[in-house]
Amino acid sequence: MQAEVKAAFGPGGALEKAIIGFRSRDAQLEMASAVCDSIRDGKALVVEAGTGTGKTYAYLVPALLSGKKVILSTGTKNLQEQLYLRDLPRIQSALAQPVATALLKGRSNYLCTFRLTQHYQHVPVQDAALIQDLSLIKKWSNETQSGDIGELTYIAEDSKALPYVTSTTDNCLGKDCPDYEECYLLKARKKAMNADLVVVNHHLFFADMALKDTGFGELLPSMDVVIFDEAHQIPDIASDYFGETFSSSVLLDLCRDIEIACKTELRDHPQLAKTAEKLASLTKDWRLLLPEDPQKGNWRDLFQKAEQKVALSRISDVMQMLYQVLKGSLGRSDLVDSCYERLALLRNRLEKLLDVDKTGISFWFDTSKRHISLHYTPLSIADKFQELVFDQPRCWVFTSATLSVDGGFDHFTRQMGLGAARTLQLDSPFDYPNQAMLLVPRYLPEPTDAKMAQALLQLAVPLIEANEGRCFFLFTSHRMLQWMAQQLPDYIRLPVLVQGSTSKRVLLEQFVQLKHAVLLGTGSFWEGVDVRGDTLSLVIIDKLPFASPDEPLLQARSEDARLAGQDPFAVVQLPQAVITLKQGVGRLIRDVSDRGVLVIADNRLVSRPYGEVFLKSLPPMRRSRSPQAAIEFLTAIHAKSGSEPSKA
Amino acid sequence: MQVQFYLLQQDELAGMPAHFALTCQLCADLFRANQRVFVYCPNQQDAEAVDEVLWQFDAERFVPHNLAGEGPARGAPVEISWQGPRTSRQVLINLTDTVPAFANRFSQIIEFVPAAEHGKAAARQKFKHYRQLGVEPQTRTPE
Repeated sequence: MQAEVKAAFGPGGALEKAIIGFRSRDAQLEMASAVCDSIRDGKALVVEAGTGTGKTYAYLVPALLSGKKVILSTGTKNLQEQLYLRDLPRIQSALAQPVATALLKGRSNYLCTFRLTQHYQHVPVQDAALIQDLSLIKKWSNETQSGDIGELTYIAEDSKALPYVTSTTDNCLGKDCPDYEECYLLKARKKAMNADLVVVNHHLFFADMALKDTGFGELLPSMDVVIFDEAHQIPDIASDYFGETFSSSVLLDLCRDIEIACKTELRDHPQLAKTAEKLASLTKDWRLLLPEDPQKGNWRDLFQKAEQKVALSRISDVMQMLYQVLKGSLGRSDLVDSCYERLALLRNRLEKLLDVDKTGISFWFDTSKRHISLHYTPLSIADKFQELVFDQPRCWVFTSATLSVDGGFDHFTRQMGLGAARTLQLDSPFDYPNQAMLLVPRYLPEPTDAKMAQALLQLAVPLIEANEGRCFFLFTSHRMLQWMAQQLPDYIRLPVLVQGSTSKRVLLEQFVQLKHAVLLGTGSFWEGVDVRGDTLSLVIIDKLPFASPDEPLLQARSEDARLAGQDPFAVVQLPQAVITLKQGVGRLIRDVSDRGVLVIADNRLVSRPYGEVFLKSLPPMRRSRSPQAAIEFLTAIHAKSGSEPSKA
Repeated sequence: MQVQFYLLQQDELAGMPAHFALTCQLCADLFRANQRVFVYCPNQQDAEAVDEVLWQFDAERFVPHNLAGEGPARGAPVEISWQGPRTSRQVLINLTDTVPAFANRFSQIIEFVPAAEHGKAAARQKFKHYRQLGVEPQTRTPE
């Protein structure tokens, strides 16, 4: 297979013949050959392939040529579609390799015809927008082949109607569903079962793994090769799924479904309706114990409060009562039967979340305006993941543009229990010293200093003007973001877009369309953002992206590190911030012709010893501390690319 | 107090004034030997030039540093200034033409002797000054 792969990539090979502009690159071939080795000997492989190495082709070609059954998992639904609809067909036709492929998304992406009928007939809330969306969906449901909600481009991504026309593991009736034969989710899963290469996303992969939500779990055992792209996201996603959640919203959903059953099939059962009503009201009272503004915190601590103990013991009692009442009505309605099972599951979860003395677990809670959720996160996923990886002989490949910290993979492999994996680091082919500059301006106040906001404004204005917008201005705190959103428009005559004013997708569209805009967002904004070319050539970050110390997952990992006798800052916080920054640089420079300036308005990068870890991990951008030098760099970029629009 | 005069072989090194380049190398070594360093410059402009060179220095030999007017309360391991030191440090790298009054607060002092003849007068003056203070300066050539 090695020889075949080499031939495909080589001069005059299949890729060069079929793909316009394809040029063989050493790093790409090296990765492809390492993937071949892993497919052959079944050893796990971890590859960091810097932006521009062409990692997608480097794993697709061996995967397709291997003749084995392959699962390909990537970070988001968008990337999934890009792979499935763009890259995969290209390589397939180049290799002339007839391989059955399938795209599989999570449950909530498929239309549930049973729930659509149910809610179309009995609209749950009298809301004009909801009713309109429901009828649009009803119309579409007669035309769709796949039932993939993604086809509904004319409905908002966060439409209130979507939860009513898709199912969850909690409300799916499974084999008892009258529409079972027509189920789009099942059809998609069947297609995946019969395919040789299935494209999934990490959330689906781990959701299924953890919830045993039939289907994908059955798929995995028959697969020989598992490839994770965007693998740097896996530790966080996996931690979420290996944990448990109990929320007021799931409880209220259950109560609502029981109410529906009581209004239709079980009209003669007032006791059931009453008990569900009681549970709903206790659940709402529970949320009201905490302030309206959303917050996050340590559940172990909060649960010490008497009012929480009382509220939850009442809820638990009524859940027990409801369980008994439902038990007496089993077999009368599919909906009630499923509610009974859901309640059993919820009781079990609540029990786990009240057992806060258990060690090795992080217990935390968060609230939204109307709901409260309790979470249980295992401190380490390494054991669970290791079990999974080495359970059966199978090839595992983990790749991303950002996995290594300070030239090593320990941070990733330790978290994932992949100590025995083969690792490979491939540098980006970009000419970073000439394409990018890293500016850490002089004389800034310390990051916590109150004078910082004003200093940041004074720094940003001339840079943004020199670059004529084309800027992402990113913040680690919402407070600073809001302050800047108020101030900035008074100082520059360019459009200022602010995260939160509309959806991320719309904001990005506006940013690209306006060409000379400034987009203010939080640090996480640029994960997964792809703005090529000159539209984005300046990124300003207010602070090094250390996660907030009250972030529950971070707390959990720090606790874990402390228990293992390690320094949590060095092994948890620092590597995570390094990966985040590396991601960011990858967004700024996407292509050999991209140029840009990254400004980090945080002198700790220069003055603290850990600055070394950042510098050694980031691509070798030219460095300066002089805003004037950055302005000259930016001016040169735009002069070179010949875009000299009128001065603002 | 130990005083070392480095005799520069040329006045330019790696495209910059040789004493800036050498200051960087020494700072990198001293930081790794856990010594806190004060780099004293004749003016703000030179201080910023040293800062820039140090920031662009090999990432493998990173030197955490700050200029006067920025950085953590106690200062970074290396501080670059055109004013007197704010905290006590072991090593002074003197880039000015005179021996500063605060020189006696350091246990180790590093001076440079320019290669060009016209620059040597100031160095000779400083050499004398240290002798008057009762210190016998060492001379050495940079590696």
